[in-house]
Amino acid sequence: MTTAQNTEIESEGGPFTRWVRNAIDNPGKVHRAMFYVALVFFLFTTLFPIYWLVVLALTPNNLIVDMGVVPHGFNLSVFAELWELVPLHLYMFNSFVIATVTTVYVLLVSSLSGYAFGRLEFRGKGGLLLLLLIISFFPPAAFLLPLFKLFTGNVVVFGLHSPNLFNSMGAIIIPFSGLFLPLSVFILTTFYSQIPDGLEDAARVEGTTRFGALFRVIMPLSAPGLSTAGILTFIAVYNEFFFSFLLSTGDPENGAPLVWGILAFQGQYASMYNYMAAASLIGILPIALLVVVAQEKIVSGLTAGAIKE
Amino acid sequence: MKAENKRTGGLPRPDYALANKIETLPEELYAYLLVVPAFLMVGVVALWPLLETFSMSLHADTLTGITVGEFVGIENYVAVLTGQRAVVLPSSLWYAVGLTVAFTAVSVSLETIVGLAQALILDQEFRGRAWVRMAIILPWAVPVVVQGMMFYLLFEPSVGFLVAPLQELGLFSSTPLANTQDSLILITLSDAWKTSAFMALIILAGLQSIDRSLYDVSRVAGATAWQRFKFITFPLVLPAVLVGMLFRTLGALKVYGLIEVLSGCQTVPSMSCLVVSAFRSNRYGTGATLAFFTALIISLFILVYLVKFVDSLRDIGGDS
Repeated sequence: MTTAQNTEIESEGGPFTRWVRNAIDNPGKVHRAMFYVALVFFLFTTLFPIYWLVVLALTPNNLIVDMGVVPHGFNLSVFAELWELVPLHLYMFNSFVIATVTTVYVLLVSSLSGYAFGRLEFRGKGGLLLLLLIISFFPPAAFLLPLFKLFTGNVVVFGLHSPNLFNSMGAIIIPFSGLFLPLSVFILTTFYSQIPDGLEDAARVEGTTRFGALFRVIMPLSAPGLSTAGILTFIAVYNEFFFSFLLSTGDPENGAPLVWGILAFQGQYASMYNYMAAASLIGILPIALLVVVAQEKIVSGLTAGAIKE
Repeated sequence: MKAENKRTGGLPRPDYALANKIETLPEELYAYLLVVPAFLMVGVVALWPLLETFSMSLHADTLTGITVGEFVGIENYVAVLTGQRAVVLPSSLWYAVGLTVAFTAVSVSLETIVGLAQALILDQEFRGRAWVRMAIILPWAVPVVVQGMMFYLLFEPSVGFLVAPLQELGLFSSTPLANTQDSLILITLSDAWKTSAFMALIILAGLQSIDRSLYDVSRVAGATAWQRFKFITFPLVLPAVLVGMLFRTLGALKVYGLIEVLSGCQTVPSMSCLVVSAFRSNRYGTGATLAFFTALIISLFILVYLVKFVDSLRDIGGDS
């Protein structure tokens, strides 16, 4: 009785009442609406800081006062001029070299140990994996002082001084090669362990060597794992701050990475906000492109591998 | 050495001999051979530095160059833990520990909630999903230095439009980047902005490995959307959430770069900040003590994960 009466009253109500009734009748629609509200909210919060960099980069520096959410002007010349203030391209090139060398090295070394951990039985396997896991969790601050001592030639072993690598890319590449190794080992261990034994046995019976089986059978079959591990390592190295900042003097000729290029704007040209924003945008660009190209791979690679650890 | 030469003497090239030797190696020895490069690397850049840090922490500061003075035992630890060294550092150790742990707790909770929500959205079917996924994952790929710069440019009072209204509401001071409390809030927000994407990525990977037929069954059984989430999605995605939380907890405890770019170690002295400032002022004994103590605190958190890991080892056939 009452329900019927309510319906009657509501059908005479305004658009809001009608909307509410519609929503009660059809909960799927409400879920859909909530879904889109949340979607738009997250897109906004995620993209706004990047949009803000675009706003600042396009606004000429003398007009950066009382900024709203739109650019005051359309000054594209910053993107051409900033290279003259700070040789950002040199810093970015250094970051690329550091990230590429580290990634290649890490993939090679972690392939060997990933094969051992994933496909062979040996004593102390669990302990060694555990050791790798623990290492990857320690703070870089715990390694800083001895590494600085090592790379400045102040560690003496059997009367020999350690080579002076400070002020070269080596001082950054070596710590990264060790510290980003465990992640790749874990990913590749999982991938390599999933290749059926039969495929490897067949290759071995055909006369392939042990290394041949690893490099020509196991690795090609684990290509998704290798690319996931490679992409994650590359991004982690390119984005790293601690060692990139503290194990370099900031001279681009001596291998200083992107961190120093961006900070050079904050230091020397502290009030040139448009340049700071433009340099930041350029700094993001290569990795953003990598994510655009590889996001499918990253998600599927993680689904297939790393997460099961 | 001599025996080796005799055996390989008949072969034309030494690398053939080596290849032969590898082929005939027992499986266990071959496995050890394969893991040697990895552990050599980890030994040089992680294990040795950790031991060296501990040994340096037992020696006095010299303030001249990259050296430590005479052996002083646990004197540095006593001085650091009782706050006697606070005058030469941005803050006392316990203040830094409290600040870092508070930052970690708040930012990891925030990231988990936001990351879970984002992952649930990305797991739906809708038009343009690939683009939305790209946009939501993007912050994860932004370098720390740029992340810091972004929030610096948003909250530097002479640039950003957000400071004035927030100040009028009484939420922020007029110079949020020079105020510890405000900066801490901004660093937390900035960290959540970037690493929610990481959480979303990990949780999404977990969501996508859930068997879809479970949902069909539950629909037939008449479960509501909330029940489907509570009884299927959440329990099955929980391991991924926990792994993500652990990674983020350990990451957040190391926070340094963001602080350096956004507001400086004097304003927000995290644990890593103290280590760096001792390092910068050539106090190697004190710096090593702080570093080792930081490592100890983080190991406490690692210990929690250890138990879980030993269980999962059985799945990949390792001994424990």
